[in-house]
Amino acid sequence: MTEKDNRPVNLNLLTISLPIIGLSSILHRISGLIVFLAFPLLVWLFSISLESEESFSYLQNQFQQLLVFKIITFLLFVGFLYHVLAGTRKLLADGFGIGETLHSGKLISWVVFGLTFLISLAFFILIL
Amino acid sequence: MSQAIPVAQLKSVTMSIYRYDPTLDEKPYMQDIVIEVPTDKDIMVLDALHLAKDQEPSLSYRRSCREGVCGSDGMNINGKNGLACVTPLSEAVKRNKLTLRPMPGLPVVRDLIVDMKQFYDQLEKVKPYLITKSDNPETERTQSPEEREELDGLYECILCGCCSTSCPSFWWNPDKFLGPAALLQSWRFIADSRDEATEERLDALEDSFSLYRCHGIMNCVSVCPKGLNPTEAISNIRNKLITREK
Repeated sequence: MTEKDNRPVNLNLLTISLPIIGLSSILHRISGLIVFLAFPLLVWLFSISLESEESFSYLQNQFQQLLVFKIITFLLFVGFLYHVLAGTRKLLADGFGIGETLHSGKLISWVVFGLTFLISLAFFILIL
Repeated sequence: MSQAIPVAQLKSVTMSIYRYDPTLDEKPYMQDIVIEVPTDKDIMVLDALHLAKDQEPSLSYRRSCREGVCGSDGMNINGKNGLACVTPLSEAVKRNKLTLRPMPGLPVVRDLIVDMKQFYDQLEKVKPYLITKSDNPETERTQSPEEREELDGLYECILCGCCSTSCPSFWWNPDKFLGPAALLQSWRFIADSRDEATEERLDALEDSFSLYRCHGIMNCVSVCPKGLNPTEAISNIRNKLITREK
């Protein structure tokens, strides 16, 4: 076909069902992007904390006092945790063929979500 | 004594169908058609489409064998790809509504009919036929029952396109990523003990798109009307690619 293709394509993502494994994969990418973008910030904070005893306690104080600081830390933790767990699921599938049936794939995706929730909850209580 | 012939109870189901006629419509639109279906037995989505077509004769869709063998009537049924002829209405209808759209990602020719060219082009690339180099034997090229068993779960594919058109990697790169259907066929011939072109087949897949765009989300497995597992086939090819000695 040489002329421009003007034919419509049905690709409205809101109308197409997304099974749990697909959702898990998209969140893996989003969490990866967030963690990647936040990495310079974390390195910067880490370098401040290493400068001196005062800078360390200053940061510690800020963390204790500013709720925003805690919320950002919590969200980054959840993102990183989810990314690691969902990445492990992919490694298990690629390396050992674990979770390559529909049933086991779904099950492991649920386990990833469940573990993320539980560990995040524990972390939330810890920093509260 | 004459007995009254029992009249089947009917209930109405609203079908919301993707309509597009290139000679009339600028853009596709959704049309609601209310059909009456029997309550005492289940019918298939394809039967429901026939009932809708009785009311709206211009409605177009592909169908042929009407029993899940020819693979013509793949479409997006309430968000999930499947064959209309083997999808029971009772399973498909949600809140008394049935939404039918063409398979995602391929250009729409008309209504529920898509142009499968991109799909077939990708299939052609994997050379879905036996390639031999040795001289023809006196009799057939034989296989042991075990060797034949390797092809179970692969040869059954009817090329309906439900898997590839539910795969996001195929949507974004339909010309570069081969898609689950073509890759399942690729593995079907790599796994065949009679095929003598394994190395060439693997060579052709060793780029970052053809095979490696699969990220294992398994939409293909969840929609396959024949219950096949393209994800596993892709994984088998990948293992073969990374363990082979050059």
